[in-house]
Amino acid sequence: MQCAEHLRVQALFDGELDAVSAAAVERHVGHCADCRTLLEELERMRGRIRRDLEYGEAPRELRSALARALDAEAAAEERRRSPPVVWRGRPFWLGTLTGAGAALAAGVAVVLLAPLFFAPLPEELIAAHLRSLEPGRLTQVISTDRHTVKPWFAGRADVSPVVADFAPQGFALVGGRTDSLGQQRAAVLVYAHGAHVINVFAFLPGRGEPPAQASRRGYHIACWRGGDLDYCAVSDAGWEELGTLRELIADLGARDAR
Amino acid sequence: MDDKRSRFEAQVLPHLDAAYRLARWLSRAPGDADDIVQEAFLRAFRSFDTLRSPDARAWVLAIVRNCHLSALQHGRRRAAEPLDEEHETDAGAGDVPAAADPEAASIERDERRALARLIGALPGEHREVLVLRELEDMSYREIAAVTAVPIGTVMSRLARARAALRAKWHEESEGDGRAVR
Ligand SMILES: [Zn+2]
Repeated sequence: MQCAEHLRVQALFDGELDAVSAAAVERHVGHCADCRTLLEELERMRGRIRRDLEYGEAPRELRSALARALDAEAAAEERRRSPPVVWRGRPFWLGTLTGAGAALAAGVAVVLLAPLFFAPLPEELIAAHLRSLEPGRLTQVISTDRHTVKPWFAGRADVSPVVADFAPQGFALVGGRTDSLGQQRAAVLVYAHGAHVINVFAFLPGRGEPPAQASRRGYHIACWRGGDLDYCAVSDAGWEELGTLRELIADLGARDAR
Repeated sequence: MDDKRSRFEAQVLPHLDAAYRLARWLSRAPGDADDIVQEAFLRAFRSFDTLRSPDARAWVLAIVRNCHLSALQHGRRRAAEPLDEEHETDAGAGDVPAAADPEAASIERDERRALARLIGALPGEHREVLVLRELEDMSYREIAAVTAVPIGTVMSRLARARAALRAKWHEESEGDGRAVR
C-alpha cells in the first residue's frame, strides 16, 4: 500500500513547494519509510536520466537549413506586404480596410486566456480576415473548381476541409489559402458573395468552443462543427448570408460522410 | 535582417536545442525530429506576432509537440514503431566516455541503451513529462503550458511515468542483474 503523501513528496523533490509545505513534507518523510524510499528512488532515477540521456544539440545541418527557411519565409512575408497588386481586376473589397489592420492590432487587448499563448480565437480570426483583404493576400490558389482547391491543401494545411463551389446559390468559390491560426495551418476557403468576401477557416478543434456567432468591429463570425473539424466563416456580410453558407457547407459535409 | 526575423532569432532560436531534444524523444527517430523541428519553427515564425506569453521556450515546445501530434495523425511518419537496435545506438545514450577496460565500456553502453529503451517504450504522455521535467528541468507550470493540461494532471502523469519507469527498471535488474541499476 503506497503512502498517500507520494504526490507531495514528488512536489518536494521537484522543488515545487513553498517553504512551509516543504518543511511539513520533510517532517513526514522523516518518519515514513515508504516516502523515504520514494525520495531515494526519484533521486537515483534523475541521476541516471541526466547522466545517460542528454541528447545534446540540434545538428548543424538542421540549424542552417532552418536559418535558410526562415530567411525565405521572412522575405516572402516582406513581399506580400509591399507591392499593391490589384487582384484579377476585381478589387471589390478594397477601400474597406486601409488602416483597419493597424487599428485592430493596436486595439487588441493583451490578455492571457485559456489557450495560453494566443489571442482569443475571434480576434485572431478577424486579424486573419483583415490580413487576407490586403492586396494580393486573399488567395494562394485561385480556382472555382473544388478538384483543384481540395488537393492543393494536401501537405500545406493541417486539415482537409469540405470544398465546393456554390455559385448557383450566390456563393462563388474564389480559391483558397492557408493561414496560421494559433499553432495550426488552417485551410481557408474564399467565397465571394456580391460585394462581400467570406473567408471560411477550417481547423482542428482544440481552441476551446468557437462562438456560434460573434461580432468584432463590424465583422461577423459564424462557427460550426463539421465532421472532426471546426469551421468559422468571417465576413462583413450579414448573419443571414453567413447562415446560408454554413448550411450549404454543413449539408455537403454530412452527405460526404455518408 | 528585418525586425521580426531578428526578434525571432533572439527570442526563439535559443530554444532550438531543447526543441530538438523534445522532438527526438517524442518521435524516437532522428530524421523525423529534423522535420518536426523545421516545421515547428516555421509555424512559430508565422504566428510569432500573436505570441502573448513571455515564455518563448514553453511556447515553441508546445508547437513542436503539436507538429509531432499532427504528423502522427496524418500518418506521415512511422513514429509508433518500437525502437530498433540501430535507433537506440544512435538516439540513445550519446557518447559514452572511453573506458580503459573495453569490457567495462561495453557494460556501460548496454546500461545506457537499456535506460533509453525503457523510456522509449513508455507511452507518449509519460515520455513527454519525463523529458520536460528531467532533461529540460521545466517547472510543473511550464510543463502544463507545453502539454496543454492542468498542473494537477502534470503531477499525476509525472508520478505515473516515474512509477512505470521504476517498475520496468526493477524488472530488468532482476532479469539479468545489471541491465539497469
Ligand atoms: Zn509517506
